[in-house]
Amino acid sequence: MTNELVVRCIMSKDIVPQSEAEQAIYALVDIKPKSRMGTGMMPANVSLVLDRSGSMEGEKLENMKEAAGYVVDHLSDTDFVSITIFDDQVESLIPSQVAQKRDEIKKMLASVIARGGTQIADGLKEGMNELQKGYSKDRINRLLLLTDGKTWDDEELCLRLAEEAGKNGIAITGMGIGDEWNEKLLLQLAEKSGGDSHWIQNPISILDAFKQEVEGVQSVAATNLKVMGRLDRGVKPVRVFSMVPMIANVSSKVLHDTTITADLGSLDGKKGQLLLIEMRFPAQKIGKYRVGQLEVSYDIPAQGISGHKIRVDMSITVSADIAATTKVNAEVMNLVEKVSAFKLQTRALSYAEAGNIAEATRKLEAAATVLLDLGEDELAATAEREILSLKKTGTLTTAGSKKLEYGTRKLTQGWTGAVKK
Amino acid sequence: MKCKECQVENIEGALFCEECGARLEVKPDMAEIVSEGGGAPLVLQSSEGNTLAIPEKEEVMIGREDPISEVFPDVDLTSLGGLEKGVSRKHAIIHRVGVDYVVEDMGSTNGTYINKKRIQPHARQVIKPGDEIKFGKLSLSVKAA
Repeated sequence: MTNELVVRCIMSKDIVPQSEAEQAIYALVDIKPKSRMGTGMMPANVSLVLDRSGSMEGEKLENMKEAAGYVVDHLSDTDFVSITIFDDQVESLIPSQVAQKRDEIKKMLASVIARGGTQIADGLKEGMNELQKGYSKDRINRLLLLTDGKTWDDEELCLRLAEEAGKNGIAITGMGIGDEWNEKLLLQLAEKSGGDSHWIQNPISILDAFKQEVEGVQSVAATNLKVMGRLDRGVKPVRVFSMVPMIANVSSKVLHDTTITADLGSLDGKKGQLLLIEMRFPAQKIGKYRVGQLEVSYDIPAQGISGHKIRVDMSITVSADIAATTKVNAEVMNLVEKVSAFKLQTRALSYAEAGNIAEATRKLEAAATVLLDLGEDELAATAEREILSLKKTGTLTTAGSKKLEYGTRKLTQGWTGAVKK
Repeated sequence: MKCKECQVENIEGALFCEECGARLEVKPDMAEIVSEGGGAPLVLQSSEGNTLAIPEKEEVMIGREDPISEVFPDVDLTSLGGLEKGVSRKHAIIHRVGVDYVVEDMGSTNGTYINKKRIQPHARQVIKPGDEIKFGKLSLSVKAA
């Protein structure tokens, strides 16, 4: 049986020095479709959950309507779509239906006016109910949430809904416009549901964001992507990061003792998927050793493929040749460095939130240095500006913290396996 | 494995310091260059060709003279446009550690850069011939005397 996906497993080092103690090793798992698949191969089930609160009035609302219209126009006749609008009340504007009555749907969209406050949970709940009506595991089930403000007193409920969505294979993409919304909430919704998040800085970019989402839905190459890793005796998994659509620490979800079980949802045919696994390799004598085995399984419903498996072994050599043990794979090194920038930024923001300005500043300075080394001058400059803001006011700026949160998470965007520099 | 920047211990094999993110692994080609530069006295040269000797002392203060605050650095960058280019009065120290020249930024306002990479305050980094070192916006080349 041929494989439709190509799985590469690259070790940070093929040759490690002999050591009396355990040592850190890294494995990069790169999953891509073998060949360019046609677009729209999998039917979609899309729920738009749109903020119509008072602050959306004007350019934001008009651009949102245009973007929602774009989604409706570009889904196929057999795809399901629903549109839910919310402020502090919720309305199912377009109940779940096939995306055929496009003019009628856009007419309903045109009638929406901005009013009221913001209660995201109610919108999410209604959006998920509509999604359930068209739900099938053979469809790409996706919820797109757009908001410009902070939700009122229901963040915990939002997170529970996202967790439920994730368990049911529904990925939530949370998009925030402007500066006044809670990026932590939207990023957590993405993390819990295996989805994505975008920061839309200007209303005219709402259409671009929705276009990207439609493209993503139509580029899915495989569903139900799972990576199972069984490590050999003495090898311990420590941390796992997924990199697509953004860098996320998935360790708590995927690590169980000496096994790795990652449910990765759908595979984007253009972006692929990357996992970085950090492990501890035990003290061993000179020789070649198997580190473990990875098993990647997936479905391609359109081709009648279900649970197809690809197995890859990870191995390493322990050697006394010091020169040979210093060679580090450049691809892995580059990704580990990006994860390092992401980790430093996350810790900096946590310290800042906790009021520990000294530590926050130190971590931001370290992040700036790593970002400069990666050639990310603009992001490094943002980190420097936030350091000044911390020293002056004791807080980060709302725009600056968003830029850092999203900038470091999306360092792997445009990854082709080529190293910058 | 101790991080050269922040001195925190990291597990053997780690690629970047858990504490400060500094690279822990030395690329093979970098190791060779370090050994080539060992031993020769170094000087700093500006883009206009002015050469600044680095005094033979264990600690050489680099900065900008300010008689009012009684700051008299060993290497004074005022005449090279230090004030306009954001050089602090006590900007950095160059340590002699064996045969090596090691730079430490003293918490300067506009930072110290080695080959375009900003070094963290009080973290130490070896410099060698061919390096570019920037104090604020003042760029100097490291050369063998």
